[in-house]
Amino acid sequence: MTINLLEQGQAWLAQQLTTHAARQIVYRRGELGVELTAVIGKSSYQQDDGHGVLTRAQVRDYLIDTNALLLSIIGSLPRPGDRIVEIDAQQSYIFEVMPLGGEPHWRFSDPFRLKIRIHTKQIDGG
Amino acid sequence: MPHLRVPFFDLRPYDNPPRQENMATILQIADGVTSELNTATLSQPIAAERHFVPSYDLQELGVLRVSVVPIELLIMAYDRVASKYSARIDVAVQKKFEQGTNQEIDPLIVLMEEIADLFRLKRLTQMPEARCVAVEHPVLYSAEHWTQNRLFTSLLSLSFQLAR
Repeated sequence: MTINLLEQGQAWLAQQLTTHAARQIVYRRGELGVELTAVIGKSSYQQDDGHGVLTRAQVRDYLIDTNALLLSIIGSLPRPGDRIVEIDAQQSYIFEVMPLGGEPHWRFSDPFRLKIRIHTKQIDGG
Repeated sequence: MPHLRVPFFDLRPYDNPPRQENMATILQIADGVTSELNTATLSQPIAAERHFVPSYDLQELGVLRVSVVPIELLIMAYDRVASKYSARIDVAVQKKFEQGTNQEIDPLIVLMEEIADLFRLKRLTQMPEARCVAVEHPVLYSAEHWTQNRLFTSLLSLSFQLAR
C-alpha cells in the first residue's frame, strides 16, 4: 500500500484549520439545517455594474469539511440558494451560496477533496 | 382634466410651458414618471424613487425596488421658436428572489407590463406637455444579475416628447 505523504500532510493541515481557525455556522437548505464548523476563507466587497444599475455585496468564502456536509442531513454538495448563518455577538448574518465572477458556487479547495470552498454573498443581517 | 382632450400627437397646446425654476426638463419628466408610478394601482405595491445611478446592497434588495433613471435628452428644432425635447427615462425593477421559480418571477414580469401600459401613449399627469411615444423593454431580466446575485433586474425604457 502506497502512503501518500502529501495527502496525509494536507489532512493534518485541514484538521489544524478546523481545530484552531474555525467557527460554528448553520448550513441551511430550505427547511433543513445543520450546525457545522467552517473556516472563513476570504472576505471582500464586490460591485457589479449591469445595465447602469449597481449592485454591491459582501462576499465571503467558507471552507467546510467535505464529509461533514455530505454526511449531514444536507447530504449533498452545495447548491445555489443554500444559506449559511453566522452568529456573531448576538447578531446573525445570512449569506447565500452563489457563483463568484467566472467561478462556480463551490469548488474543492485541495487536491484530495478534503475541504470545499463555498462562495457566498451576504443577503441579510449586520 | 382639459389636457386629456388634447390629441395625443399634437404638441402645440403645450408650446413653451413654464419651466419649473431650477429644474431641468428631463428631471421634471423623471419626477413625473416617479409620481405616476407611486400613485398608480398595480398588482403589487411599489415605492419608486428617482436616482442617477441606482446602487443597492444585495441586503437591501429583499424588498421590491423601483428606480426611475433619467438617461438621455435630445433637443431638436420644432418650429421657428420652439424645440422638440426627446427624453429617455429608464425604469428599473429589482428584487432578490428565493428560488427563481416561475411562480416567483412571473408576477414581476406582469408588473413590468403593467408599468409599460401605465405610460404607453399617455401624457404625464404632473407634466401633461410630456407624452410617452415609445416603450421598450430591452432587458426583460438580466441574466448576469440572475446568476451572479440571484437577483431579478428588469429594465423598461420610456421615450417622452414635448415642445418647449
